[in-house]
Amino acid sequence: MRVILRRSGSRPGGMALVAAGAVVLVTACAGGAPKKHAGTAEDPWVIGMSQCNLGEPWRVQMDADVRAAAEKHSNLKVIFKDAQNSSLTQRAQVEEFVDQGVDLLIISPKEAAPLTQPVAAAYQKGIPVIVLDREVQGDQYTQFIGADNVRIGREAGRWIRETLGGQGKIVELEGLMTSTPGQDRHQGFLEGLDLEHNPGLQIVFTGEMKWLEPDARTEMESALATNDHIDLVYAHNDPGAHGAWLAAKAAGREGEMKFVGIDGLPQEGQQYVAQGILDATFLYPTGGDVAIDEALKILGGQQVEKKIVLGTRIFTKDNIQQGGQPITN
Amino acid sequence: MNGPTDSRLRGWLATPVARALLALALMLVIGCVFNADGAFFRWSVHRDMLRQVSVFGILACGMTVVILTAGIDLSVSSVLALSAVGFAWLTLPMGWPAVWAIPAVLVIGTALGSVSGMLVARMRIQPFIVTLAMMVFARGLAKVVSGGQKITNYVTGADGVAHLVPMPRIFGLIDSRVVGGNVSIVTLVFLACVLATWIILARLRLGRHIYAVGGNEEAARLSGVPVARTLIVAYALSGLMAAVAGICQAAQEMQGDPETGMGYELDAIAMVVIGGTSLMGGKGSVTTTLIGVLTIGYLQKILSLNAAPEATRLMLTGAIIICAVLFQRGRDR
Repeated sequence: MRVILRRSGSRPGGMALVAAGAVVLVTACAGGAPKKHAGTAEDPWVIGMSQCNLGEPWRVQMDADVRAAAEKHSNLKVIFKDAQNSSLTQRAQVEEFVDQGVDLLIISPKEAAPLTQPVAAAYQKGIPVIVLDREVQGDQYTQFIGADNVRIGREAGRWIRETLGGQGKIVELEGLMTSTPGQDRHQGFLEGLDLEHNPGLQIVFTGEMKWLEPDARTEMESALATNDHIDLVYAHNDPGAHGAWLAAKAAGREGEMKFVGIDGLPQEGQQYVAQGILDATFLYPTGGDVAIDEALKILGGQQVEKKIVLGTRIFTKDNIQQGGQPITN
Repeated sequence: MNGPTDSRLRGWLATPVARALLALALMLVIGCVFNADGAFFRWSVHRDMLRQVSVFGILACGMTVVILTAGIDLSVSSVLALSAVGFAWLTLPMGWPAVWAIPAVLVIGTALGSVSGMLVARMRIQPFIVTLAMMVFARGLAKVVSGGQKITNYVTGADGVAHLVPMPRIFGLIDSRVVGGNVSIVTLVFLACVLATWIILARLRLGRHIYAVGGNEEAARLSGVPVARTLIVAYALSGLMAAVAGICQAAQEMQGDPETGMGYELDAIAMVVIGGTSLMGGKGSVTTTLIGVLTIGYLQKILSLNAAPEATRLMLTGAIIICAVLFQRGRDR
């Protein structure tokens, strides 16, 4: 069996990769199965974390959550890789991790189809795989951890309906509607609003801002120009809600309406709520911390659930200092 | 009926400016028809459109200069992002006053443009390749400077604890409006860039050199035009404009986002081309670019006002760019 050492790319920890690879090379030549680490402080377990795109702040947060959780355990070491939004790069990274003999693989895949096979190959070689946020096809992985955008949209819709008392004019600023999160956050929102039984609620303007703040501002300017009164803006992400607020503020109308976003990143949505820009944001959890907890269980030989659906949390002015309020039901 | 006035009018109608104006007028008519319950007749809509196109328009000014030399600058969107991040970084975590931060950012943008210009002029690498490389490089640099995160007024202090700092006044200032709230500052910045570009192209010797190099580089060289220097200055100007646009973008977003401006270079190119400036170089002006900027700005505004679906917007924008260019070519085919 030959093991090909690859360059590790731009991430730090390249030396560690080469070292890990060298260990595999030695053991592989010896003809045995890839040697697993002992999981002690001297010989920590090595987890490979393949992130599909660190260009998105939310995914930077996911890596940060994984890192913060892993740092609490001296018997764990995590190697991070960024696929820079390319499925083929991510596929190569998964193969590299397998070659390097990691003890466990965490992958947040860019998309299902091209990554199902490499993930299955790693799984079949006896490497436990935790799939984060986006799913792969089939069942050839150890565990899936992810949030439910429909549910988060539904909670947002429900909160909006209750906050407005079933009466009001709403602007919806949509994410990229060719993406699943955009579709889900829209569908859940409509379910939560329940327009059929709340004829007083009205969506007066819908604009696709493609997750982008400048585009949200532009769409919101159109909404303001075509509507004399708006009660609430629901944006599919916090930058969108912030862009809407900027537009309303420029028109001197920010006091007229409420602003609701989704994602609740600590340095983004939560800050907007703390500053009184947004009235509410709903957490779209990264699951990074949960993934490390589950990884420790798996490495310790415990059985884990095949699928974990993460709950959401609402942040408002009243609870932001307490770290938000979990929504359970 | 063929009096001197009539023929003069016909002559004027055949000029690129007149054709660009006609395209713009047609767009305004479309706006009057699809007026979104009268919203199109309100000044605030036009004011917001002008604010919205300003950043693109500033990029288009620099792009016009480069395209006139028969070049192209794909790096403007990334230089814009780098400048936005740099401006936010200098003023927020570094706490520099705006009077230092703005010149520093402008120097960086100009320097990056000069590097592109030198590679084009001295190394004889094709502008498309040089500026494509610069586009990737500057985006990477923007991510390094920002650490991959948006730079906001939520600043991590020396103690490692993040806390809110007051937004520097310069952000609100650039994003404010004057003349009784009727004109955005960024629009004035855009118009100043148009004026500066017009002076360079129409009134300075540099402008004549730019047209000469774009028209026929060999002939320009033989007649004593400093070709290399002209090219370097053209790309440096584009970098400078991108830096100006970046500062405006950061002020309007109230943050420095390393991902901002993706794809803006294509909008800027479209605006230049719709105005009638030839991608072959040597032909065109910033006046027609201004009209092109307004035409695309109105198109986007009308589509947005009427809440047209994204797919429709993309198809219409593509179709209208082609129509406008054909219209511009008119009879001199």
